[in-house]
Amino acid sequence: MTFQFTKIATGALLACAVAVGAGIAGVAPAEAKTLRMAYDADPVSLDPQEQLSGGTLEMAHMVFDPLVRFTKELEYEPRLAESWEQIDDLTMRFHLREGVVFHSGNPFTAEDVVFTLERLKGSPDFKALFEPFEGAKIIDDHTVDLVTVEPYPLVLNLATYLFPMDKAFYTGTDDNGKPKDAIVKHGSTFASTNASGTGPFVVRAREQGVRVEFERFADYWDTESPGNVTEIIFTPIKEDPTRVASLLSGGVDFIKPVPPTDLERLGNEEGVNLVTMGGTRIITLQMNQDRVEAFKDPRVRQAIVYAINNQGIVDKIMKGFATVAAQQSAPGQVGHAADLKPRYDLDKAKALMAEAGYEDGFSITMMAPNNRYVNDDKIAEAAAAMLARINIKVDLTTIPKAQYWPEFDVRAADIMMIGWHPDTEDSANYTEFLLMTPDAETGYGQYNSGNYSNPEVDKLIIQSQSMVDQEARAKVLQQVERLLYEDAAFVPLHWQDLSWASRDGVHIEDIVNVMDFPYLGDLVID
Amino acid sequence: MTHLTARLTALLGSDVLYRFRRDPVALTAFAILVAFVLAALLAPWLSSMNPHDPAQIDIMNSEIPPVWTSGGEAAFPLGTDVQGRDLLSAILYGLRISIVIGVFAVMVQMTLGIVIGLVSGYLGGKVDAFFMRLADIQLAMSTLMLAIIALAVFKAAVGAEFYEDMAIVMLVLVIGFAEWPQYARTIRASVLAEKKKEYVDAARVIGLSAPTIMARHILPNTLSPLLVISTVQVANAIISEAALSFLGLGMPVTMPSLGSLISSGFEYIFSGAWWITTFPSIALITLILAINLLGDWLRDVLNPRLFKG
Repeated sequence: MTFQFTKIATGALLACAVAVGAGIAGVAPAEAKTLRMAYDADPVSLDPQEQLSGGTLEMAHMVFDPLVRFTKELEYEPRLAESWEQIDDLTMRFHLREGVVFHSGNPFTAEDVVFTLERLKGSPDFKALFEPFEGAKIIDDHTVDLVTVEPYPLVLNLATYLFPMDKAFYTGTDDNGKPKDAIVKHGSTFASTNASGTGPFVVRAREQGVRVEFERFADYWDTESPGNVTEIIFTPIKEDPTRVASLLSGGVDFIKPVPPTDLERLGNEEGVNLVTMGGTRIITLQMNQDRVEAFKDPRVRQAIVYAINNQGIVDKIMKGFATVAAQQSAPGQVGHAADLKPRYDLDKAKALMAEAGYEDGFSITMMAPNNRYVNDDKIAEAAAAMLARINIKVDLTTIPKAQYWPEFDVRAADIMMIGWHPDTEDSANYTEFLLMTPDAETGYGQYNSGNYSNPEVDKLIIQSQSMVDQEARAKVLQQVERLLYEDAAFVPLHWQDLSWASRDGVHIEDIVNVMDFPYLGDLVID
Repeated sequence: MTHLTARLTALLGSDVLYRFRRDPVALTAFAILVAFVLAALLAPWLSSMNPHDPAQIDIMNSEIPPVWTSGGEAAFPLGTDVQGRDLLSAILYGLRISIVIGVFAVMVQMTLGIVIGLVSGYLGGKVDAFFMRLADIQLAMSTLMLAIIALAVFKAAVGAEFYEDMAIVMLVLVIGFAEWPQYARTIRASVLAEKKKEYVDAARVIGLSAPTIMARHILPNTLSPLLVISTVQVANAIISEAALSFLGLGMPVTMPSLGSLISSGFEYIFSGAWWITTFPSIALITLILAINLLGDWLRDVLNPRLFKG
C-alpha cells in the first residue's frame, strides 16, 4: 500500500521537475540558426482567414506575406505590393512585386489578390473589416486596383491584413469532396490544415496544441531580409512559470508573453533580453442582454462597471503592467476621449443596483479563457469576486482558448471576456466588432457577445468609415466612446502591455511591434 | 447498558490501548490527526473569512506575505493568495474538502471492495476468477491515470460549468472506483482463510443463507486488516485528490482544496510569493504523514507476527 503513496509522490515530484527544468532535455546548445520558441498557445488553424485573432495573424506573418505591413514606427512598408497610388476617391492601385512564388511553386499574380479579397469578404470573421470594399480589379498580371464602395480612409491599414493566398492551391475539392477554399470556423477544412503562402516559413509539421515546426522557404522573395533563422520549433506552453523556466534553463530561445509576475526577475537576469511595450489591446467584459433581462437596464450595467475595481486589477494582478481603461480607444488613438475616467465606486454601484430594483442581486454565469490574455483567468476570478459585493453571484468558468472561442461564438455565458486589438490600428475597429448591432450579413458586431445595440453608435461608426477629414472623424469617434461610456455598454478593464523575452543573441527587439506580430522572417540570431 | 460498559472496559483494558499509550509516535500522530480534523470541522469558526465567498475577498489584499515577514499584516497570519484570500482560512476550508473527499472516497472503495471481496472469496469459482482478473487489470493501471482519463472525459462531456458544481461528487466517485481492488483482494484473502473454519461450517449446517454467513460471521473476522488499509487508503485518497486538483482536474479555484491551493500558488514560487504554495503543502504533508504513521502503527499492533515486543 505504501508503494502507492511513493508512486504518487514521485509523480508529483516529477511534475515539479518537468515544470522547473523543462529544458533539461534540451540543454544541448542550439543548432545554428534554429529558433525554439514558446508562446502561450499555437494558432488554432493554418487558414489565415478562419479566425480573426492574434494567433492567426502571427501565423500569417510567418507563412504568408501581406501586401504592405506596419513598421515598428507604424509606417507602411512595401511587402508583396512594391508601391501604390490613389487613382481616384474610390480606387487604390497596387503594383505587385514580380518574381514571387508561393510555397507550392505557383507564381504570385494579381489573380491571387482578387481571390484572397473575395475569400475575405466571405469569411465570417473578416468580412466586416472588408465590408467597405467593392472588390479588386485586375489591371495586368502585377497590377491590381482595390475599389471601395465609398471614399474610405483605411485602405492601406487593411492592406496589412490582406495576405495573398495561392489561388491555384486552394482551388478544387479535397479528398472529402469539399471545396478547398471553404471556411468553416472550428471545423476541419483543407485550408485549416494545409497552407501555401509566399511567407518566409513553410510549415513542416504540425500537431495542434503540441508543436509546430517551420523551415525557411528556400525560394523566399525577400533576399534582402537580414533574417537568418532557418528553422523554427514552436511549442505552446500555457503555464506561465513553465514558459519562463524554459527560457531560463535554455530549453527555448524566445517566449511570449512574459507573465507580469516575472518581469522584474527576467529584467535582472543575466543573459536574458527582455522587451516590453505599452499596448493597445483592450480587455473587456461583455454583458449579454439577450440572456439576462437585468442587463437591459443601463443602471445595472453601470453598477457593474462601478463595482469592478479595474485599477486594483492593474495594480495587483497585472503588477502595473497595463494601463487602466475607461473606454476602448487607447491614448494616442484618434477616438480616445481624454475626459473619460475609470469609475470604481462601490457605494455608487450598490445605489445603482438598488435604484434598478436589484438590491438583492441575481445569479449569472461568466466565462473567460485561461491562456489567451495575460492573467485572463485571474482577472475573471477577481471580477467575479468584485461582483459578489453588489450581490451578483457569478458562476465562473475558465477554459483554454481552443475551447473558449467556440463557446464565445454561441454566446455560452452571461458575461464573457474579450480582448481586442484594433486590426486597423484605428478606433472605429473596436466598436465595429465589439459593440455594433450584430449583423451576420455585414459581419458587424461579430464579437459582440453582449448583444448591445445602439442605433446612434451604429450610425456614427458607419459615418466615420467614409470620412476623410481626420479631425472631424476623430470627433465622431470620441463621441462614440462617450455614448458607450454613458450607456455602460461594456466593462472596460485595461490595455494590456506587451512583453517578449529571449536569450541574449536573439535580436527580438528589432522584430517585435505594438501589433504583437513578431516578424520572425527578419529575426537575426548571433 | 451493561453490555456497553463491558465493551468499554474491555477496550480500556485492551492490549491495543495499552500499547497506544506507550508509543510516543502513535500518540503524536493521533494528536496531529485529531487537531487537523477538528480544525477542518471548526473551520467556519476558526477562520477570519470564508474563502469560498467571493464577496469577502478584496483584490487589494492580494499577495500579502506572512505576518512575521516585512509587509505582513496581523489580519492575515499566513499571508494571502493572489486573489486576496486569507491563506490560513483557505487552508482550513481546503482541509475540509480534502478530508471529506478522502473519507467518502474510502467509503466508496470499502463498500465496493467488501461486497466484491466477500462474494469472490465465499463463492469462488468463475465469479472469483472474473472479479480477480478485473482487479488485476485495474491494478495494472495507476489510479491517477484512470482518474485523469475519467475526469477529463467527464469534463469534456458535461462542460466545465456543470463540472465545477459536481467536482466533489465526481472526485469521490472516481477515486472510490479506482481503488476498490485493494479492499477486494484483502477481504478475499481473509475470507479464503476464514471460510474453512468450523464456525462457518456450523453456521451453514444450521441453515443460514450465504449472505448472512458472509455478513454476520465472516466479515467481522476480517475487520482488522480492513482497519489498517482504511487508514492508508484515506491518506492515498487525499493525495490523489491533491494531485488531480494540482493538474487542474479537481476542485475549481473558487473552492480550493489543498491541492488546488498548491497549484494556484505554484506559479508564484519563483516570483517571491513563496507562501501561497508552501503552507498548504506543509499542511498536506503533515496530514498525510500523521495518517500513514498511525496506519503503520495499527498494522504492527494488529499483526501478531510483526510484534516488536
